[in-house]
Amino acid sequence: MAYVRVEKAVKYFPREDGTDMLVLDTVSFETKEYGITCLLGPSGCGKSTLLNVISGLEPLERGRTEVVSNHQEAEKEEPRLGYVFQDPRLLNWKHVEDNLTFALRGMGIPKTEWEERVHKYLSLVGLVEFRKQYPLYLSGGMRQRVGLARGLVIEPEVLLMDEPYSKLDHLTARNLREDTLEICARLKQTALLVTHDVEEAAYMGDRIVILSPRPAHITDIFDNPLPPLERDMDDSRFIQFKKKLLQSVLKLIKKAEV
Amino acid sequence: MAKLEKALVAEGEVGSAVSEGSAIAPRRKAGPWGEATRHIGLSVGSILALIFAWWILSLIFPPTLIPKPWETFSEVISIVTTGDFFLEMGATLRRVLVGFGIAMVVSIPLGIIMGTLRSFESFFEPPVILGLTMPGLIWAVLMIMFFGLTETSAYAAVAVTIFPMLTISIWQGTKSIDKDLIDMSRAFHASPWSKVVDVILPQLVSHILAAIRYGLGLAWKVVVVVEMFGFSNGVGYQVVRGFNTFSMKAVLAWAITFLVVMIVIEFGFIGWLERIVTRWRPKIVAWSR
Repeated sequence: MAYVRVEKAVKYFPREDGTDMLVLDTVSFETKEYGITCLLGPSGCGKSTLLNVISGLEPLERGRTEVVSNHQEAEKEEPRLGYVFQDPRLLNWKHVEDNLTFALRGMGIPKTEWEERVHKYLSLVGLVEFRKQYPLYLSGGMRQRVGLARGLVIEPEVLLMDEPYSKLDHLTARNLREDTLEICARLKQTALLVTHDVEEAAYMGDRIVILSPRPAHITDIFDNPLPPLERDMDDSRFIQFKKKLLQSVLKLIKKAEV
Repeated sequence: MAKLEKALVAEGEVGSAVSEGSAIAPRRKAGPWGEATRHIGLSVGSILALIFAWWILSLIFPPTLIPKPWETFSEVISIVTTGDFFLEMGATLRRVLVGFGIAMVVSIPLGIIMGTLRSFESFFEPPVILGLTMPGLIWAVLMIMFFGLTETSAYAAVAVTIFPMLTISIWQGTKSIDKDLIDMSRAFHASPWSKVVDVILPQLVSHILAAIRYGLGLAWKVVVVVEMFGFSNGVGYQVVRGFNTFSMKAVLAWAITFLVVMIVIEFGFIGWLERIVTRWRPKIVAWSR
């Protein structure tokens, strides 16, 4: 249905002393349709910047990013992008359901659809009973689920996720990863997930794009041999794939240290 | 609710607190009277202590300087029950509230604009800071010279005096809001209106409430000065009348009536407003174990 294409993206950040720092060095890749593509790289390599560029929050110096969608070609409207952040970034003074309608209103979705959509996506993340609750009365994992529902409720062409599990404890994160994978598979959702965790990338990604330390460029692209719902962390095929990713990342880090 | 608690325990947030409570000592209770009663008791106690100190002083000084507390209170009662107390009080309160309202309507948008747009901040910072240093008395004199002894000069003096303080409070509050939430609202294409109403204003609630409290206190101080300059009604005028007949009792009694009205506004209206707009925030429990 939809995928993201990034072509020769170049991005600088201004330094304090007036010079420019190269952050993205001619980055090119395509995401999969109907699936999760992981951007895997060490911390601080510019993965989040790449996500902000794709979402249009930050401009590029050269190159371009594009969301290619069949749907979009027909209607010629701006592609819809959903965002899930590292912190839930909820409006704590609004009920759970009003956090979702905040996104619906912003994206210009007609009011008549709100009720049905809010119900559908809160059910998907398992929080429909908490729709009238304030976020600060929920646990961290539940708040992150509200964030996921908010990203999905606008029915985006592409869902952008910026390390959404990195602030959760191990078990909560594992549980939410499993659910996210299942939800994305069921919705046939195209998604882009930024992570620095190799195991997470191997588990979540249908395609894994490996980025070097700054300035970020792409060193490897792997397609996951296992379909989304058949990935078992104890399975030898999974472990083999994870090793392959790990070697590719370690090679980069060693090179950077030398 | 039970389900929510279960979920919280499952993710390890409530679980530890529960087991600790049962394993070690039972939690300290709020006492036989309960939390609310204790709070009220302490508040009443502090007022009684003030009255007691007043009584001691009245034994030392002659009644023309410090009248007995109960004589003053009976004067308060006679003020409230006879004459045009409600008209006088109403006139003063109207001046306070109108002036305050004008200042608020200008300060909130200006403070938000100054906190979010750099060039507006540079432009408005000097006049706001200068305004803060200008004494309310001078504003009162200026406004009366400008508008004469009219209601307009009372409204203007109150508004101009408290406006810098309100603006600074909202401007600084806006600078401290969560920028990640602004990015979030941009990512979901929120309209400028929605950014202000849904994202920025709710984060300013504490600042605005504090500004209301300071602002009302300051407004009352200015309005009394304005009224003393020759208005023919209002609490300030009545205080001047007491002063002219050298009746300490009347001056104190009028001051007390106004204090009572302000306390009712503070604990009744503002307290109620605060509870309504901060419902979403769990209560802070910092010192009890």
